[in-house]
Amino acid sequence: MAFLEASKVSKSYRDKENREIVALSDFTLSVQEREFITIIGPSGCGKSSFLFLAAGLEPLTSGVLEFHGEPVTGPDPLSAMVFQEYLLFPWKTVQQNIEFGPELRHVPPDQRREVSGKLIKMVGLQGFEHRYPNELSGGMQQRVSIARALANNPKLILMDEPFGALDALTRETLQVELLKIWQQAKCTVLFVTHSISEAVYLADRVVVVSKRPGTIKEVVDIDLPRPRDREMFTSPRFIEYERYLKAMILDDI
Amino acid sequence: MDGSVKSLSQPTVLVERADLFSPLTALLVKCRKLGSPLMCLVAWEVIVRLGLINPFFCPAPTSIVRELYTLAFTGELWMHLYDSVSRAVYGYFLASLLGVGVGLAVAGSRVMEALLDPLIELIRPVSTFAVIPIFFIWFGIGDVSKVLIITKACFFPIVLNTIAGIRGVDPKLIQAARSLGAEGFTLWSRVLIPSALPVILTGMRVATSMSVTTLVGVEMLSADSGIGFMVIDAQRVFATEKMFAGILVLSALGFSFDRIARIIQHRVLAWHKGM
Repeated sequence: MAFLEASKVSKSYRDKENREIVALSDFTLSVQEREFITIIGPSGCGKSSFLFLAAGLEPLTSGVLEFHGEPVTGPDPLSAMVFQEYLLFPWKTVQQNIEFGPELRHVPPDQRREVSGKLIKMVGLQGFEHRYPNELSGGMQQRVSIARALANNPKLILMDEPFGALDALTRETLQVELLKIWQQAKCTVLFVTHSISEAVYLADRVVVVSKRPGTIKEVVDIDLPRPRDREMFTSPRFIEYERYLKAMILDDI
Repeated sequence: MDGSVKSLSQPTVLVERADLFSPLTALLVKCRKLGSPLMCLVAWEVIVRLGLINPFFCPAPTSIVRELYTLAFTGELWMHLYDSVSRAVYGYFLASLLGVGVGLAVAGSRVMEALLDPLIELIRPVSTFAVIPIFFIWFGIGDVSKVLIITKACFFPIVLNTIAGIRGVDPKLIQAARSLGAEGFTLWSRVLIPSALPVILTGMRVATSMSVTTLVGVEMLSADSGIGFMVIDAQRVFATEKMFAGILVLSALGFSFDRIARIIQHRVLAWHKGM
């Protein structure tokens, strides 16, 4: 039994004119525990929809979707989602944002403080505990958002283009840090991105989704050693993966 | 680490700028907004003193202030002020309670929306003053009807802003909160209401000025106490100084209500951008 098992999952919804839109069809994927999976595909191909289904935020139309052996019926404390838009609570400080999940689960204050303290250190935001989100840069806000997701101690982190709105340098720094965090937190990551190099750099496996209705075109194993570093970007193997994936996505457009 | 916080360098700049001003200049800069109103007052005083206008129609500012002092000294002012403020405050708080309550119900439940939304839209454009006679017939001409009329006037900005505030919450923020484990009541109390608070408080602030406007109208129509009554009663007996003094008090009342609402708004929304 895989950690996250999707078999023949499909998702359709109705748009404003009441036309049926099929976002995902026949989506089958097994994710193992502690894997880092990236999902790429053309815009609007339904790759984000899959994350929302896996997070239990939206119901699936048909198929089977199981997380740690149980069908997904709603948000699960063992999974957490990180969004491109950070979506922090603007009326809460960095620390309060991070402690939101534990607070809902009635974790006593001193334990919450311990968790948030550790996470603030992990994402490098010491000294900013009592700042409000609008006082922080985009990169810092996304760090808070990642820490907030980790505070529930999830087994599965679903990331929907988390670095999509950041500048190139911040993006690179956060990619490196995310890999460190992933190794420390011992969790599984599903990561949707538009960037092919980001997908290759982070992943154990890259899932290529076809244009709408999204189905899996191919799953590419990335056979690059870990820990990974930025030098890999120029290695022949890396460039080969990039070229291969790019050709496959362009083929679809 | 990426980027430091932008505002860090600002305070130093401000200190340097302040040093450039002598304390006197600083005071003048602070008071420059008072310049034109003060000039008008002086002109008014001079015109009346020169006898260009009959003080019966337009008493000089100094005699208005003197009258105000007398009213304060005899206690008449405080009695009326107490009645006025009580009516406004009761009406306002009742409206806040109802407005936020109904607003949350309409925004939160499709059934409530179907039931109440058409009613709100139907009653809202009706002038408060047009329905005053109905309130008098139903609740008598005592304080109950006065408070309820003020409630009617304050209710609509609050209820409409509450509905708009909740409906305007970013659906993705709700999803983020749900993925962290917030559902049902917790989602409302911890995410939806705090998120809508800037809009709700704007409605509540608009309502403060409604409360004073309506208070004056109601007290002038039918009352035996309150500043509005004092003004209209003074007019009836041609005590123009007292009338002007009362109008001054009513203006101050409206101004201070808005200031108090603004201070509370800023305190509560310290986190909010542009506050």
